[in-house]
Amino acid sequence: MFGALFWKECKQVLKSMVYYLYVAVFVLFLSSQLGSEMTSNMEKPEPGQGYYGTTATHDTAAVMESKLASLVSETQWNSYATYPMGFIRRVTLNETELAGIKEIIEECTGKSWEELVQEEEEHFGQYGQDTVEQAIQAQASYEVSPREGLTYEEFCENMEKASKIIGAGSAYSKESLGRGVSVPMTYEQAAAEFDAICSKDRVTGATARLFCDYAGIILAVLPIFLGVTRCLRDKRAKAAQVVYAHEASAVQILGSRYLANLCMAFLPVLVTSFVMQMPYQYHARTLGVTPDALAFLKYTCMWLLPEVMAVLAISFFITELTENAISIFLQVFWAIGSLFSASGLRGDFGLHLVCRWNTVGSTEAFWGQRAELFLNRGCYAALAVLAFAVAVLCYGKKRREGETIYGRLFRRKGK
Amino acid sequence: METKIEIKDLSKNFGKKQALRHVDLEIGQGMFGLLGPNGAGKTTLMKVLVALTKKTSGEVTLCGVPVSQCSQIRKIVGYLPQDFSMYGNMGAYEALDYLAVLSGMGKKERAKKVPLMLEKVNLGDQHKTKVRAMSGGMKRRLGIAQAIIHDPKVIVVDEPTAGLDPEERVRFRNLLCEIAKDRIVILSTHIVGDIEATCENIAVLNLGEILFHGTVSQLLESVRGKAYTMEISTMELPMVQEQFLVTGILTNGSTASIKIIADGLPMEGAKPASPDVEDAYMYLMGQLSASRGRE
Repeated sequence: MFGALFWKECKQVLKSMVYYLYVAVFVLFLSSQLGSEMTSNMEKPEPGQGYYGTTATHDTAAVMESKLASLVSETQWNSYATYPMGFIRRVTLNETELAGIKEIIEECTGKSWEELVQEEEEHFGQYGQDTVEQAIQAQASYEVSPREGLTYEEFCENMEKASKIIGAGSAYSKESLGRGVSVPMTYEQAAAEFDAICSKDRVTGATARLFCDYAGIILAVLPIFLGVTRCLRDKRAKAAQVVYAHEASAVQILGSRYLANLCMAFLPVLVTSFVMQMPYQYHARTLGVTPDALAFLKYTCMWLLPEVMAVLAISFFITELTENAISIFLQVFWAIGSLFSASGLRGDFGLHLVCRWNTVGSTEAFWGQRAELFLNRGCYAALAVLAFAVAVLCYGKKRREGETIYGRLFRRKGK
Repeated sequence: METKIEIKDLSKNFGKKQALRHVDLEIGQGMFGLLGPNGAGKTTLMKVLVALTKKTSGEVTLCGVPVSQCSQIRKIVGYLPQDFSMYGNMGAYEALDYLAVLSGMGKKERAKKVPLMLEKVNLGDQHKTKVRAMSGGMKRRLGIAQAIIHDPKVIVVDEPTAGLDPEERVRFRNLLCEIAKDRIVILSTHIVGDIEATCENIAVLNLGEILFHGTVSQLLESVRGKAYTMEISTMELPMVQEQFLVTGILTNGSTASIKIIADGLPMEGAKPASPDVEDAYMYLMGQLSASRGRE
């Protein structure tokens, strides 16, 4: 019975407009995010190249130099990038506030504001500003040295003051300082990075991670719509009673629906990842590397499948419990919260629903954090099983007792 | 396993509201009519029988299986709910096949029985018609097909003729009688004509209580000699309606031919008439409201 129900449910998903919207949004989102950037970081570095990209560091000296450089640049333009609710917001300060920031900079660098501006102009003057690459290189290599004797604690206190003036979500908050900074790589670092991409990731592993990073964002939201639509379908079609009255168990009914939606939700993920990996397989061969042909499958199944499972199962559970679409609001809110609560775009997996690794490479760093990612994904797979089990219990209870627990609570309160 | 439904002292409460009060019924093979006004508790009773609502107290067994054994009950019961519908984008065949899968039927069995059932309910030519495009009558026929496809011992149909045109109603009644040959078919309705045309055994339910349980002849017996017809002026009609239980009015210009149910000769000129089930039902309900009024 389960197999037949499963196929029938798959057919129903294929007939649903919501599913085609799901596929369209997923593909559009990925194509808008993934571009040629993926191969640009995978060229073999040559000595004397000048710029080899950046790498993350928590070295206090590097953090101080980078943050001071950023603060000088932003103060010069009086435009500070902040992320108070996860979205960018440009802050412009008034004269008094600007003077306060300049005072902090002078205190940290031991130089006058005018001196710093002149140094900055000289630095950027060395690089042409004609191309984006030149601008990135100029910004990445721009550093402002702290004054002699400035301890990291003093620096942090000053940055805290600056953060209070600029407002929440600035680059100088305690949390932001804790995330470390990006610094330009040396040739040796770049060569080691390239070797790791070729040997450990076999090229496609590195690109698969970036694919999972972007796909993970949209998959924290899209499956909710499939789950809610399926669970409300019986009610909308006035078919709930007739389905309840049949012999199939709650596990068979909900199980076939869940599994069909999961498979259909994951199908475009697999197809897209397969299509997107093709150029990188070719690129790997041009680098003399045998690509890992299954990298995309492995990464999507390990990284994205538990997320889709959990999002879908929770939407099943909430919708079966409430018999309305509130799950969309709750879960979108959760997804946005998860996306912006991560302390960076790379790593810090914790228990975040959306796991980020927004870079091609940083292979050694990723392999160092793999266990944390496995634990995270394992937890979400377990959460999915739990949410599905509770959804089945809820469905079974409604079926036996004739009304929802939610409905009963609110009907009585209303009386 | 005896084909019988036994209901003993069944009560069902929704919070403080008592939907069924100490219901006792025994239903044997054939058509059984459950009659009662809207809100009488018929649907609640039907749902208890098909294990879609938990009883508060009492004992209910269908062919020896207690209703608490939901999965067993669902195997032996076919249910046509009051507002039967299915997914709008499914065709008749597809919808019936889907529900047959839910009834645990295998592929071969479905391939054989689904077309057969569609033929039986006269939907054979319309097996591709989408549910959303079906008329009320077609939907009910599809509903009865899904209720009988797994060959259940008990079939429960809740208000199946509401909203159907007279032709569809007659066709549907005949269909029910046809399938009731070797099983129990419980027909719940507030339309007396449906019961009169199809059932021999009936029960009348009001405010969760059984007011009458017996045969149609026994119900008719209760009004034998109490039905009268007479001609009155339309001006007198409000006064007569206030005093007597009027079950039929046929106006013709300034006069009206009326049917009255009364314990004795209601008025001069009244002629004895033969009562029908509707008269008996109205008399029963009238007696109840009178006794409640006295209380």
